Amino acid sequence: MNWRRWNNILHRDVGYALVGLTVIYSISGIAVNHRGDWNPNYTLRKQILTIEPARGTTKEEIVVDVMAKLNIQAEELKNSFRPNEETLQLFLEERTYSIDLPTGNVIVDAVHSRPVLYEMNQLHLNTPKGIWTLIADLFAVCLILVAITGMFVLKGKTGILGRGIWFVTAGIVIPVAYWLYYWYS
Amino acid sequence: MKSTMSLVVLLSLAFVLAFGAEKKYGKKITLKEKTKISDIMANPESYDGKRVLVEGPIVDVCRERGCWIKIGSDKEFGALRFKVEDGVITFPLQVKGKNTLAEGIVSVKKYSVEQLIAQGKETAKEEGREFDPSTVKGPKTVLMIKGEGAVVK
Repeated sequence: MNWRRWNNILHRDVGYALVGLTVIYSISGIAVNHRGDWNPNYTLRKQILTIEPARGTTKEEIVVDVMAKLNIQAEELKNSFRPNEETLQLFLEERTYSIDLPTGNVIVDAVHSRPVLYEMNQLHLNTPKGIWTLIADLFAVCLILVAITGMFVLKGKTGILGRGIWFVTAGIVIPVAYWLYYWYS
Repeated sequence: MKSTMSLVVLLSLAFVLAFGAEKKYGKKITLKEKTKISDIMANPESYDGKRVLVEGPIVDVCRERGCWIKIGSDKEFGALRFKVEDGVITFPLQVKGKNTLAEGIVSVKKYSVEQLIAQGKETAKEEGREFDPSTVKGPKTVLMIKGEGAVVK
């Protein structure tokens, strides 16, 4: 078996193995590229409510009073906090109520992770660390392997010494040229 | 088939029990003795550069990158920012409202008005709100913990 056959087998089989991760990393890449325009991990919703001004002198009394007015059950409450004298925060699962105690104005911040995309982003940005670091490194090495073996799949006019050289050159020139433009402009 | 399903359910339950109760972020906690956040806030200069272990509710989280949390003080009306290196630790927004045990180095820095305005703009952008530079009245001493590790329960 000649080297090109081995090259093509390697390119094909490693390529198959990389499909899942390539799709995950690419979709997440697009999502996080535009993080200036949106939050790629969460949907954030804000709601404004008004209740009667809170009653009570101690924090505990105020919390009980406000929870009753907002119809929040005791088992829903994770925690409460007063950042200042006039504000009370109630923390529920994926929701935070910020209550302006003198006026009764309430801001409800609801947070939901984007299904699938959140998990993709966590993997792409290596949030889990640990063994995932090794898997991600291996993925990167395999991508290099697929790129290099890809250049030698075909021979002749459509191979690396034919039209292939132009595509490979374009793929190198585009990032280098852009970097030079970015750096010197 | 039934036994396979039972095994899957049991394994899932074991996973939830093992990992669902608390989540670790960053390095292992090394200190045994906790420091009250109110003590740090009352006398920041004496803690500057010192390693501390603090405990409290997470009252806010960086929405942009999960690169900081605010930990509520043991006394009312106070919270301390626990800032971690971008990408090294990422706190999910779901930790808001949970209790944490967090270790890091106390940092006390003095900022000029210009520095505070620049910082305020950046924080407002992260939190998705408007920033009014006129709210900066003068130079300020900023206290935070440079976070290294945390356990969220």
